[in-house]
Amino acid sequence: MKLFWKDQTPLLICYIAQMLLIPVLYWLSGENRPLRIIGYGVMLSSAILLMYLVIRYIQFRKLYQRLSAMECIASNRELPREPLGDAPLPEAVQDMLRVYDRYYQDKLSIHVKRIDQHIVFINRWVHQMKTPLSVIQLTLRDFDQTSAADSIQEELERLRKGFEMVLYTSRLDQFEDDFRVERIRLLQAVKEAVTENRRLFIRKGLQPDIRIDEDWIVYSDAKWMRFMLNQILINAVNYSAGKGQTILITARKSSEQIMLDIQDQGIGISREDLKRVFQPYFTGEQGRQYQESTGMGLYLVREICSRLGHQVAIESKPGDGTTVRFTFHHTPNHETY
Amino acid sequence: MNKQTILIIEDDRKLSGLLSDYLRKYDFHTVAVDDFSRVMETFVACPPDLVLLDVNLPKFDGFYWCRQIRSRSLCPILFISARENEMDQVIALENGADDYITKPFHYEVVLAKIRSNLRRASGSYAQPLEERKIDAGKLRLYPERYVIQYEGQTSELSQKESVLLETLMDRDGRVVSREQLLDLMWSDEHYIDDNTLNVYITRVRKKLKDLGADGMVETVRGAGYRLSAGAEEV
Repeated sequence: MKLFWKDQTPLLICYIAQMLLIPVLYWLSGENRPLRIIGYGVMLSSAILLMYLVIRYIQFRKLYQRLSAMECIASNRELPREPLGDAPLPEAVQDMLRVYDRYYQDKLSIHVKRIDQHIVFINRWVHQMKTPLSVIQLTLRDFDQTSAADSIQEELERLRKGFEMVLYTSRLDQFEDDFRVERIRLLQAVKEAVTENRRLFIRKGLQPDIRIDEDWIVYSDAKWMRFMLNQILINAVNYSAGKGQTILITARKSSEQIMLDIQDQGIGISREDLKRVFQPYFTGEQGRQYQESTGMGLYLVREICSRLGHQVAIESKPGDGTTVRFTFHHTPNHETY
Repeated sequence: MNKQTILIIEDDRKLSGLLSDYLRKYDFHTVAVDDFSRVMETFVACPPDLVLLDVNLPKFDGFYWCRQIRSRSLCPILFISARENEMDQVIALENGADDYITKPFHYEVVLAKIRSNLRRASGSYAQPLEERKIDAGKLRLYPERYVIQYEGQTSELSQKESVLLETLMDRDGRVVSREQLLDLMWSDEHYIDDNTLNVYITRVRKKLKDLGADGMVETVRGAGYRLSAGAEEV
């Protein structure tokens, strides 16, 4: 309604100017018309104006309503289905919107298609690379176990971890189709992740120390959880200072949550870096010393956590080590379904 | 004893070659498919006791061939695939596969799964496969029973000692790095560190010494350990 009046203000000003102009003209010309006639004319003319405004408002009502309800448009970006009105102007506006909408829809679908293709390509490619990886790994067994063979083995493992990272990054885009929350035995999951990374532990001369109650259950997606634990373990091992240290993995339970702490005795993270470790592509001072650091690990971990309804936090003192804390609900979190 | 035949359907020639060589070492007869438009012909000509099947193949995928084989035979089919997602495993099993191994894999996993599936397929445990044994010089290890034999004398080992000795005997005369040994001996319950490995090495040496096979496990400085079982005969 407000918009309608704003739109009609110039017309009303014009009309009032005209209504004043005519008596003034009469007065100037000296024709002494009776005031009543003039008043009658003004009234008649006003009635016609009023009729015009009413009709106009009825015809344009939908368009005005649409245009006034901007918040509504912002939340519901679909083009309205019902016509804006049957007057020429609303129809023209509707047509114009339709043309733009079609254009953007087409563009959008091209991009969506391209991204989907890209994801499919990446997945295929990574899987193709796994065969050569197998071949190298199996061939390596026939070598003498020298330092060269061990070094190749180490690089192989890096490649594997890299491929895994690529796969999970591209899967993140289709997360909604790709997760299933189930009961997971926390101790079991942690042990599997540690065993999977045992070569890293061995190479660095580190030992895991796992203190988790056997019966504790968390609700999560097994695959994504494994990936998260792997990332954190790899970080913990890589950033540990040296031989003989332990990676302490503990859990605590409160009434609603289970907290899992993965703690290393490593070099730690400086204060200014700590704020940014969850940002994508952030590698920090320490990260640059390790070639495999892409800065994506922690970013992915946090993304996955937020989608699964877990929390992750990181605490560190330079020189003292770093603790990564996961918080799980030990009842199913319905928000994630 | 008749050798059991394993058909390898894998389009990467190197990989199928490596698998072939390895399985031959363990007394299997292997056949690899060359022409992927004639998989069924090869199958019928064999016929194998077990099939190793890749998923990504030229022309038709592994699931297709799995169904084709299933329509003719009940022999165990193991998938070898790079795809580790659960859906693919479900599809594989629904198409009639018996097991699923993801790449990259270790020989031991493939061998263990082949053995367990063959055992199941052969009806019961009543006709077990010949017991696995590893020979190195005059040493003979029965890794399934943790028993070591030397010139008619036997000695029992712990499971870890058996794994340790198996690895050394398998690479008789070659160096095995400490890391490799730690990797193989690591279990979910006990994390083996350097000191523990030293203890196991000492125990194995002592058991060998008691059998009269003294000094077989050598320390190679900076590299690892080496078993030289054939050395005495030189």
